[in-house]
Amino acid sequence: MRAFAHLSATELRLLGRDPGSLFFMVAFPLMLLFLNSGSKTPGNFIPGYLAMILAIGGMAALPGIVATYRERKVLRRLATTPMSPLALLAAQVAAQLVMGLGGAILVVGVGMAALGVQAPDNPAALALAFFMSSLMTCSIGFVIAAVAPRARVADLLGLLVMFPMIFLSGAAVPRSGLPDTVRALGEYLPLTQGVTALAESWSGTPTVLPLLILTGIITICTAIAATLFRWE
Amino acid sequence: MTAISVRELRKSYGGTPAVDGVSFDIRQGETVGIIGHNGAGKTTTVECLVGLRKPDSGTVEVLGLDPATRRRELARRIGVQLQDSALPDRIKAGEAMRLFASFYPRSANWRRLFETWGLDGLRNKAFGDLSGGQKQRLLLALALVGRPELVVLDELTTGLDPLARRETWELIGALKTAGTTILLVSHFMDEAEALSDRVAVFKGGRVAAFGTPDELKRAAGASSLEGVL
Repeated sequence: MRAFAHLSATELRLLGRDPGSLFFMVAFPLMLLFLNSGSKTPGNFIPGYLAMILAIGGMAALPGIVATYRERKVLRRLATTPMSPLALLAAQVAAQLVMGLGGAILVVGVGMAALGVQAPDNPAALALAFFMSSLMTCSIGFVIAAVAPRARVADLLGLLVMFPMIFLSGAAVPRSGLPDTVRALGEYLPLTQGVTALAESWSGTPTVLPLLILTGIITICTAIAATLFRWE
Repeated sequence: MTAISVRELRKSYGGTPAVDGVSFDIRQGETVGIIGHNGAGKTTTVECLVGLRKPDSGTVEVLGLDPATRRRELARRIGVQLQDSALPDRIKAGEAMRLFASFYPRSANWRRLFETWGLDGLRNKAFGDLSGGQKQRLLLALALVGRPELVVLDELTTGLDPLARRETWELIGALKTAGTTILLVSHFMDEAEALSDRVAVFKGGRVAAFGTPDELKRAAGASSLEGVL
């Protein structure tokens, strides 16, 4: 356990040293919030931004990191130590979760302190929705890492999956403003379930359906990734 | 005491045999070099020894354990440096060392290891910013941080300049004196000759010859190990 904690802390530090992850997971959501500060209810944007932070980390950053570890034989090297290479993948999830939490606390904190945003109605449900959304985005990231032949392809695929997802799911911009056909498309995106779960617990009544769908997506994507993943 | 025992090891990739009936024994405390051209089966054999690959047939025993079924138990007692393996660019040398030290139940004093390997000034330097020789030395030091009984080194000094190679040889000599069993895979005949008690010559997935460098040269009528190949 000590070794796994050490591994996760190291992965978190490496993630924090990546300017792209740092900007898009921490500074970018804050920037968007300020751009919407003229709105009467800037708080309505926050659940979406939380989902966006997790999507950027899990779907766009994680695949490239994992594929690079495979390409540079980091996974193979780890398999010759008492630490399992599977632990390195689990450490990625831990690092994404903590990094995402950092970005989330900042955007919520600044919103409450500077823009008069109300505290979430149901913090426990929000935490659960955040955790499940993080696992979901990482599981999709692992599928991308599994199918991508090279690290550069993994990076590209990650962006191709993440960008439409954050714009059509209501994460980066509210879905209410989207044209009808495009909005209908959003119904079928995994991240939409994350946004719904986060929004319901942020203000309103949390329901169990989005969490069940998230569980299903996590299970299916993890199974696909486990089947297709190559260690070398 | 036998450190490594291999009997009739076979491993094919897609029908093409990479290792085709390899057998040899290595005694505890011995330094053995494996030499051979590309595709001779050296790396596949090593990968079977450290548990990275499962043999198609044959038996492998390393420190009394079957690597295919008891990889993690074995991993605590061996140190491995893999050919072309690297670390993430942004990890600092000191971080990598502390991290790897945390994997082992009785790890070495990594600060001392840093001094020994001339890495002291590089503790806060990112892996991506190290020179080829510095990277190699760090990867070697990482292979030793768990105080291994057996060290497996695949292409030990590839990418090092002549001076760095000599320095590495000296450090391997010290390791040898301390009683560590060393398995050394090399392209460089002079290296295998300088460091090894015995040398195994791999050809076409088999052990073509196995003996002390002098025995091999005498048998082949060659003046250097280069001639043996």
